[in-house]
Amino acid sequence: MSAPTPTATPVPLESVELACDFGPLKLRSPILTASGCFAYGQQFAEFMDLRQIGGLSTKGISPLPRHGNPLPRIYETASGMINSIGLENVGCEAFLTEKLPFLADLDVSVWVNFFGTDFETYVDCAKTLSEGGEGRIDVLEMNISCPNIKKGGIEFGTVPEVAHRLTKACVEASEVPIVVKLTPNVSDIVAMAQAVKEAGAIGVSLINTITAMAIDVRSRRSRIATTYGGLSGPAIKPVALRMVHQVAKALPGFPICGMGGILTGEDVLEYFIAGAHCVQLGTINFSEPGAALRVTRELRELMAELGIERVQDAVATLGGYEAEPAHAEVSPWA
Amino acid sequence: MKRAVAMAQFQVEVVANRALTGGYFVLELASEQDNAVGGAQPGQFVMLRGEWGRDLLNGRAFSVLEAIDARRFTVMLKVFGRGTGKMREMQPGERMTVTGPLGRGFPQPDAQPDGGAGSGRKQLLVAGGVGLPPLHFHARRLVGRGKADAVEMFYGGRSAAELVLTEALDEWGVQTVLATDDGSRGVEGRVTVPLTARLDAAAEAGEAVEILACGPTPMLAAVRELGLARGVPTSLCLEEMMACGFGVCLGCAVPVYGPKPYKYCCTDGPVFDAKEVRW
Repeated sequence: MSAPTPTATPVPLESVELACDFGPLKLRSPILTASGCFAYGQQFAEFMDLRQIGGLSTKGISPLPRHGNPLPRIYETASGMINSIGLENVGCEAFLTEKLPFLADLDVSVWVNFFGTDFETYVDCAKTLSEGGEGRIDVLEMNISCPNIKKGGIEFGTVPEVAHRLTKACVEASEVPIVVKLTPNVSDIVAMAQAVKEAGAIGVSLINTITAMAIDVRSRRSRIATTYGGLSGPAIKPVALRMVHQVAKALPGFPICGMGGILTGEDVLEYFIAGAHCVQLGTINFSEPGAALRVTRELRELMAELGIERVQDAVATLGGYEAEPAHAEVSPWA
Repeated sequence: MKRAVAMAQFQVEVVANRALTGGYFVLELASEQDNAVGGAQPGQFVMLRGEWGRDLLNGRAFSVLEAIDARRFTVMLKVFGRGTGKMREMQPGERMTVTGPLGRGFPQPDAQPDGGAGSGRKQLLVAGGVGLPPLHFHARRLVGRGKADAVEMFYGGRSAAELVLTEALDEWGVQTVLATDDGSRGVEGRVTVPLTARLDAAAEAGEAVEILACGPTPMLAAVRELGLARGVPTSLCLEEMMACGFGVCLGCAVPVYGPKPYKYCCTDGPVFDAKEVRW
């Protein structure tokens, strides 16, 4: 038996309000762009008016510049791609002086994704960005989940107690609110979200890439030089939605930024219904650099069609199925 | 990131899909409005995607074969995987999305590495297989400017069937040396055989030459060795796996010598000085 369909009374397009809250933050739109898929923003200015997006998350920043992994670094798979870039970035100092001014001028929500290679460098990085940002950074998105660095890291993203300790230290070191980006490569995503919430994170970003590989049977080598990489794109959306829903259900009201394979406005609405308060577009930016604006338009149209005036009217509204009548060997209608 | 022409993303329609020999084919694409690829430089490329759903996720990179006018251009390709397989089947009227023009093109024959003019070096164009398009385009441009004698083409393939678009080179009066592995056309052997002879002759005559090469990686590696050993300026047009084509995914890193260990095929290249490539 199918679920009862909520009756949708369309509303005019202009009564759809995309401005929304993410914890203490006010977003102009719930559609942001994801770390590692938007560089530091400049390239995209050639394709679209960046002021129309809700915000963006930068390439992950570490205290010192990093040069990245050997080739091959990427490989396309069915409905997705595997990458192992290796967190290549310009480093804190160059970011603050060379990249941040451009972002600050955009007047969108600036999320600076950051990471360290050990406990101390995580905290240093948070402190440096918070201080050096001088009010121009809206969120420090703490990456405790990248599968592509060898040294340290893995337990930050997979052991709740360790994530709690690290998050707490970064929250204390930073004036800027911290959102923790979690890895899906864990058995209990709720425990991780709970741990960082209790440590003072204002929200979580769900999900980072899923550890993956592909093999060239002729050379019998991995398609990725580091053997494994992170899978992204529409292939991972069902996994991401499931995790967003699990966390939203366990921690009602705790802000979640959903991401993983979003291609359309309908995908965004799925994330809202699952429990996300805002979303990030990632892999789609590579093949459609203007995607954020198209998806925003599609979301607005779909919300109007379904009579959803505000983002929060959709968030965490997943319905259930009615219970079936109890089974009996003889039909009550016999 | 300074470019002669701003990159853009736009829609095109397939005007023609022409089969050549050897499994190669040429797609002619046209947009309704003037597009940025009309101003593309030889060596620049485009990312192409058909309307085939997101099972095939990203665009595919192809060098521009010819910018016909402000709305029409061509690419030449061969079936390598599922994306190119779909492109082989495309019919006139089908739509594609183009991002481009991307990257930096070949140096011009009248430019010196430091940007000065008037080096007067003859350019030896070395093409292998699917690496022909940017060099063919480069030759076409020079011929259009009355400089057919500024270049000589060295073009290799496995067999005669794999040497395509050579009539145009003859017609333009571009001096061309062909080579096939099986000897079915031109010199028997790799394209580096006649190239080596030409480089030796140039050295003996004190003639200033430079090499522009595009083709499979083993060919490029061999050409690079030849150029470096003789001190001949050599530019290599490289191909790497890329998701975006405009410097964001960082997938197409090229190992280089210099302050940083990698550059990017899409934005720093695809044309690189052989001396800086760390192979």
